[in-house]
Amino acid sequence: MTTVSGYETNQILTGSTYFQIEDDWKERTGKGVSVAIIDSGIDTSHPDLQGKIRESVEAKKDDKRVLFEASETGDSAGHGTACAGIISRIAPEAELYSIKVLGAGGLGDGHAFLAGLEYAIKNRYRLVNLSLGTTKPHFFAPLHDLLDRAYQAGCIVVAAANNLPQPSFPSVFSSSLISVSKSADTDPFHFSFKYGEVIELCAPGVNVRTAWLGGGYKSLTGNSFACPHIVGIIALLLEANPTLTPFQVKSALYAIAKENQESEK
Amino acid sequence: MSEENKNGLEKKLQSVIETVDVANALTEPMTVSIENLLKISANAMNSEEASVIVREGDEGDLRFLSAIGKVAERLKNLRIPAGKGIAGFVFSSGQPMAITDVGEEDTFYAEVDKQTGYSTQTILATPLRYNGEVIGVLEYVNRIGEPPYEPFTPKEMDKASLYAEAIAALVNAYEIAKIFKDLGDKMLSGEDNSDFVVVREWLSKLRDSSEHREMMDLAVLVREISNRGEGERAMCREILEAVLRYSKDNSETSYLSF
Repeated sequence: MTTVSGYETNQILTGSTYFQIEDDWKERTGKGVSVAIIDSGIDTSHPDLQGKIRESVEAKKDDKRVLFEASETGDSAGHGTACAGIISRIAPEAELYSIKVLGAGGLGDGHAFLAGLEYAIKNRYRLVNLSLGTTKPHFFAPLHDLLDRAYQAGCIVVAAANNLPQPSFPSVFSSSLISVSKSADTDPFHFSFKYGEVIELCAPGVNVRTAWLGGGYKSLTGNSFACPHIVGIIALLLEANPTLTPFQVKSALYAIAKENQESEK
Repeated sequence: MSEENKNGLEKKLQSVIETVDVANALTEPMTVSIENLLKISANAMNSEEASVIVREGDEGDLRFLSAIGKVAERLKNLRIPAGKGIAGFVFSSGQPMAITDVGEEDTFYAEVDKQTGYSTQTILATPLRYNGEVIGVLEYVNRIGEPPYEPFTPKEMDKASLYAEAIAALVNAYEIAKIFKDLGDKMLSGEDNSDFVVVREWLSKLRDSSEHREMMDLAVLVREISNRGEGERAMCREILEAVLRYSKDNSETSYLSF
């Protein structure tokens, strides 16, 4: 059992943030947990993903705004399929929703990505896999606003860190979402937590073998593959503990990571 | 600027353009430097092929600007539609990634692979960023020596992002030089050369996104008002602050149209 006690010296934290996670969460399958993947689309015919994608939508330009319509175009890059493959390997019964914002006709800028996030929040998907980011300063404020809305709606957004010199949004927003960077570990349950760093969680992201276009598999490296590992883990936690808030999920991840790190010593 | 000065400047510009080989003088140093850096970095990355891919227009399309290796000549100027393939993904997501066991369906080397018998097996792609904006993609393909090739490591990914930083600065300089090269070509060709307004209009249509241009227009407008005197400045500030208050009240922004 994992006991989440917050920071015990902090008097502000009261009994309401004190909870326990039974160990059987690792045996769960993510059943009943809705997961949105905001990416390049998903190849729904991939053998690993058949029947697991509940809905696929795609961004369309509608004057200055963005409209989402049913998508027939699959995955334009392979990345969304790769992320879906990782999530469904950890949480095989999670309900996956594909929100295609990359490679969608004529939408080269960040608006589609923001609209995709807004779409996910409005549909109240429980979990959002966001392996994308932007460094454009004018997206800072609207993204911050959206992330706060997600947080208030109980929608847990997991973003990939950007291992580049410039900070990228939203992964540097530490309060309202969960940011992940890659490690060379291979066990998805053995993630770690670097408290105090901008990007706090580390999950497998080096040579990850997962689903790719055309029914095949590839070995991939990048923070954007660490992100879906944590999404899969949270799907299991949420099935076992459906009422967890985003804050509680983050606290639980921290407590579990601490146990992982302590067991190494 | 007075009309007289404008005409003087125009004449000077024209004479400069006519005496210099604009096409090469402006852009060539950049392309040569990019290629040199590409060679040095590819060697340090123990990679056989490398390329610099840049944006083409505002819709996310890409084209190969520079390439080194066996298929370099075939790649140059090859276009990649928005969001397609690994380069398309890295460009629009801003996320670097590495792939091993790359298959034909995944890359825009595929066509070239078919023609040359070259086989793309492992790729590292990282975004080129300048001033917070992704302006292209840097790719390293395969290793020096014989297959099977070792996958690119996280350390090499970090190294590539440092090369990307240097190359991005050059690509940005190249893009600016290209604007002036194109302007020079246009003036020399006899089009618009007597009409500065037309040239300016044409220049304003270049490269920058419409949003960026709108912001620049606004900045120019504010500067113009500010130059008219203290009273105008105070009024402008009050109006702008009122707009800001209004937009804060309406801060529940939406990108969706249902």
